Amino acid sequence: MRKLTAVISILFAATLTSGFMLFEAFSTSDGPRQPVEFDHWQHVSKEEGPQLECSTCHQYASASPNATIPSVSTCMVCHESINADSPEVKKLAAFAEREAEPPWVRVYWSEPSANVFFNHKPHIRAEIDCVACHGQVSQARRVKREVNHSMGWCIDCHSRKNASIDCYACHR
Amino acid sequence: MMNETEKTQKPQWAMAIDLDRCTGCEACVVACRIENNIAVVGPEESARDRSMNWIRIERYMEGEFPDVRVRFRPVLCQHCQEAPCEPVCPVYATYHTEEGLNAQVYNRCVGTRYCANNCPYSVRFFNFFDPQWPAPLEKSLNPEVSIRTRGVMEKCTFCIQRIRKGEEKARDEDRAVRDGDVIPACVGSCPTKAMYFGNIADSNSEVARLARSNRAERLMEDLGTEPRVIYLRKRDQA
Repeated sequence: MRKLTAVISILFAATLTSGFMLFEAFSTSDGPRQPVEFDHWQHVSKEEGPQLECSTCHQYASASPNATIPSVSTCMVCHESINADSPEVKKLAAFAEREAEPPWVRVYWSEPSANVFFNHKPHIRAEIDCVACHGQVSQARRVKREVNHSMGWCIDCHSRKNASIDCYACHR
Repeated sequence: MMNETEKTQKPQWAMAIDLDRCTGCEACVVACRIENNIAVVGPEESARDRSMNWIRIERYMEGEFPDVRVRFRPVLCQHCQEAPCEPVCPVYATYHTEEGLNAQVYNRCVGTRYCANNCPYSVRFFNFFDPQWPAPLEKSLNPEVSIRTRGVMEKCTFCIQRIRKGEEKARDEDRAVRDGDVIPACVGSCPTKAMYFGNIADSNSEVARLARSNRAERLMEDLGTEPRVIYLRKRDQA
């Protein structure tokens, strides 16, 4: 009897760990896990949602090198009252209460060793759709890296749009 | 509203240095180091000529003691239009931009050092070591400029990060660049205002005006390198 319990418990543990590992594997292919499960689809595309523009939250994309992630206080403008009972919004409220920012995990970036100095502003001015570089974020429940920002990919678009392909345009 | 030719025509960057005004204070040298994340190699390696200074002050002593006069000349990359450093690079790591700048692409550089050997002005510097900044200098690193690694060549860029910012500002205001849009670190730090920077293709700019001065000269002009740095001779030599 004792043997049987041992075998069962080992099997149980094995199933649990393998299940957990599988879950982790799938979740990473789905983009990094964020401190608050922010759902872009719900905010941008959902019929009965607020249907926000990208620039509502990433408001400095048109004016600066960085698109910027809004501070929790911006989230709380709506979420003070809307969906205040949901566990994720509660997490958000807890951050706001501590006057802290959630440690968001970056999805798109270039390695420092690439010496790339990207600037959002001229891209917005040239009316490049956010989707062109960031993929279908508006449909994503969790954002992942859909577009591979290789240099060839950048140059390809720059030459099509007659933008500068001088090295010094991006590298310094 | 600027017209189409003005918009498409690239500015041609140039610098003018009035030697009558230079006091050799080296404020430009310090400003350049801080602005451009230039690594520090220490006194020993510096004595082996491995220190990096994108701009330096050359001293020339004249006369016998006690009747000595010192003349100063700030020397930086001359951004030659016929740059001797460019054709010798086997990997095209150094090239000429449409704005007349002599550019260095760090990620292409394999460190043959041919360019530095072919530079008559000795203004190219090789990173012999992994970059280091003794505390607290590491706190002053400029996020707008690359950190160069060991084994690559580096040089003055005319503060390309500031040029890009200035051009961006001009575009925002829908006009061509003008004097004052771009001020490289050395120019901005000069207490006697001995240095000028601007678009030499614009005949109304300060550099274009100074380039037409009868005091204007270029360093080692006879080599045919066609530098973009214009020196204004001291008046007693004019």
